[in-house]
Amino acid sequence: MLEKRLGPQRIDAHPYGEPFVLGDVQISFHPAGHVLGSAQIRIDDGDAVWVITGDYKRDPDPTCQRFEPIHCDVLITEATFALPIYRWPSMDQVMEHMFRWWDHHIRNQRTPVLLCYSLGKAQRIMAEIRQRSDRSVQVHGAVANLNLEYEKQGVALCPWQRASESDKGVSTDLIIAPPQVAESSFLKRFHPTELAMASGWMQVRGVRRRSAINHGFVISDHADWQSLIQTVQQSEARQIYATHGETRVLTRFLNDHMGVAADRLETAFGIEQGADQ
Amino acid sequence: MNFVQLFQILDTSQSTNAKRNGLVEFIQAADPLESALAVEALTGRRDRKQLKPSLLKQAAYQAFTDESWLFDECYAAVGDLSETLAILFANQDAVSQTDQPILDQWRQRQHALSQQKPEVLISELPSLLNTLSRDEAFLFLKLSSGGFRVGVSKGLVHEAIARAIDMDRAVIEERLMGDFSPDPDWLDRLKAPVTQDELDAKPLPFLLANPMSESEISALNPTDVLVEYKWDGIRAQLIKTHETIRLWSRGDQDITEQFPDIVEVATTLPSQIILDGEILAGTTEHLQTFNDLQTRLNRKRITQTLLKTHPAFFKAYDLLRLDGEDLRGHPLIARKAALSKISVSQSLTIDPMCTETIHSMREEARGKGAEGVMIKGKQSCYVGGRKAGHWWKWKLDPMTADCVLIYAQAGHGRRASLHSDYTLACWNQDNELVPVAKAYSGLTDAELKDMDQWIRKHTLQKFGPVRQVEAFHVFEIGFEGIARSTRHKSGIALRFPRILRWRQDVGPKDADHLTHFEALMSDAHAV
Repeated sequence: MLEKRLGPQRIDAHPYGEPFVLGDVQISFHPAGHVLGSAQIRIDDGDAVWVITGDYKRDPDPTCQRFEPIHCDVLITEATFALPIYRWPSMDQVMEHMFRWWDHHIRNQRTPVLLCYSLGKAQRIMAEIRQRSDRSVQVHGAVANLNLEYEKQGVALCPWQRASESDKGVSTDLIIAPPQVAESSFLKRFHPTELAMASGWMQVRGVRRRSAINHGFVISDHADWQSLIQTVQQSEARQIYATHGETRVLTRFLNDHMGVAADRLETAFGIEQGADQ
Repeated sequence: MNFVQLFQILDTSQSTNAKRNGLVEFIQAADPLESALAVEALTGRRDRKQLKPSLLKQAAYQAFTDESWLFDECYAAVGDLSETLAILFANQDAVSQTDQPILDQWRQRQHALSQQKPEVLISELPSLLNTLSRDEAFLFLKLSSGGFRVGVSKGLVHEAIARAIDMDRAVIEERLMGDFSPDPDWLDRLKAPVTQDELDAKPLPFLLANPMSESEISALNPTDVLVEYKWDGIRAQLIKTHETIRLWSRGDQDITEQFPDIVEVATTLPSQIILDGEILAGTTEHLQTFNDLQTRLNRKRITQTLLKTHPAFFKAYDLLRLDGEDLRGHPLIARKAALSKISVSQSLTIDPMCTETIHSMREEARGKGAEGVMIKGKQSCYVGGRKAGHWWKWKLDPMTADCVLIYAQAGHGRRASLHSDYTLACWNQDNELVPVAKAYSGLTDAELKDMDQWIRKHTLQKFGPVRQVEAFHVFEIGFEGIARSTRHKSGIALRFPRILRWRQDVGPKDADHLTHFEALMSDAHAV
């Protein structure tokens, strides 16, 4: 997957939980539950253990191993959705809702289109569909290429085909595509269409309404507020660094309310609010 | 179907059609008390605040114990108090699937809550919300705290009711006027057979004028026509039947409730009369601008203060019915003769005799607060629609100014992905660009596309859908009127601004200064 996205690279792969030495420290990777292959990094230099969570979520996801809490001295955690308003509903509820939405629009002769991030989110939704039905979907090329990689790794997805190879006209299959296509000609062949977005940001009505998308499904591959707090507690770390997103809120809450030393950590990575998730 | 399900349909569709269909389905399928209460809420008839926003906030603060700042952060991210509480305290995994009516039950609950002591209410609210699904909690709070809006206009609700029970929309609107009591019989009351008086209270199709060019004026026989000023107001029919007084604008909008002052004056009119004319801002002695009229139209409640600061009156120019007799088949001169005997403010009518009179009247129009002249065939009868050979309008040339593009926003519908809505600015005394107009059209599709490309490449800053762009492009705008405004930074408001030309020949420094607008304003009539 990395090669597909980054081009030819020297890549050393390490299984989860198997320590290896790099320079003066011992390193191991642990499931982050974000997308297939995503990992937290545990670094042990003999004196202290640091853990970098990277992007993670704690909710079950059929496409990847579940997040594993790790004891450490210092925890660097993401904070994309560090506000109490971000509490993810159960997938059971979201999927039931999605199926109703899907059926409603095909009954009304409209093609249901779900916009979501093409790496991880798309495959997670397809795996959830497979677990609950024999429904099939059509996907944008960007999603299709990643589907093939997921399937190579043995992840079971619902039946799918490339949207570009399908007939013109209204489709009873769900179309899964990255958000950028909302403004492109890709969707023309399926007109009339009904757009929905799957993202943690959809938790807020105003965000959805400003995006000119009719429907929002709250599905995120990031940790919600409760998960962030739980992870901090389970790590028993003496120092927390928060990076990405609502770092100010999270660190203030940890310092003031939970009595855990927390600081913000600036990184060179930008915040991609709304663009992905 | 219940109100929550209706809300979900309305909230997840942007097309008016889908919303209308949702409403029709709801009105037909829902329990009649549920639909009555829903109509009351959707048409803004219910704004008793049973739960004050400050109380909702206190409830949230209490639940957040000593971390009230955290609630403030949440509120800031969500932007709506009811929604914030709904997200935080509703039962996230409850699905509102029940079809059972819910609004009457809520009404009782809200009433009970409002009787409680604030301390009790504050501490009980979160657990009460936890018995509801998120949409339910949101709606419950929205309905209790006032300011409920879901992007459905009153007109659309009325139209849906009319469709749902297959009745005329105008009749429905009439019957819903004034006090609306939400009870299970509301639909039966609306369905009652239409009475003669109700029919009499409906407007007749408006006769509309065609534009006239200078050459057409020269070809005209001036002795065949009458001339009036073309007033810049709201075209309306003022109707008095045996039982009621109604004021209708074009497009069958009943605007009676917005103009109690006009209704008051109309009580002295003979009954069974229909006058055609213009609603104008100000008084017969001192005209105000169209802007002032808009203030009246936009207010939900017309207060005594507003009636004093923004008075309005009706200027009649035609008589369509008198003593129940339809005069539309009579020639204009006969209708005018009959009108002149009615005691009502009337538009000055001139029998021009020569073309020069028409010209000079048009010259004087701006000074009179008018936007041109109306030319009407003496022998013309009154027919609905834009019929040729009856009435003409000869408008003043628009005022113009060169302005600089500073903000652009994507349009709607066909122009959804094109930045087609422009905010244009002129220079002020401090050499800053201040916005003076928002213009939506005037460019060809090809020009729009070019501009869109340029806008995307020269964006300085984004504010949601709005892009601030480099001050570079100059457009000539035309507008019909100009008035002082406290709402705009520039201090002026333009009437009907639109882009006339893309001035690719000049740069931003050549754009007009605020003094240009000031000068135009003093040329126009005193405001």
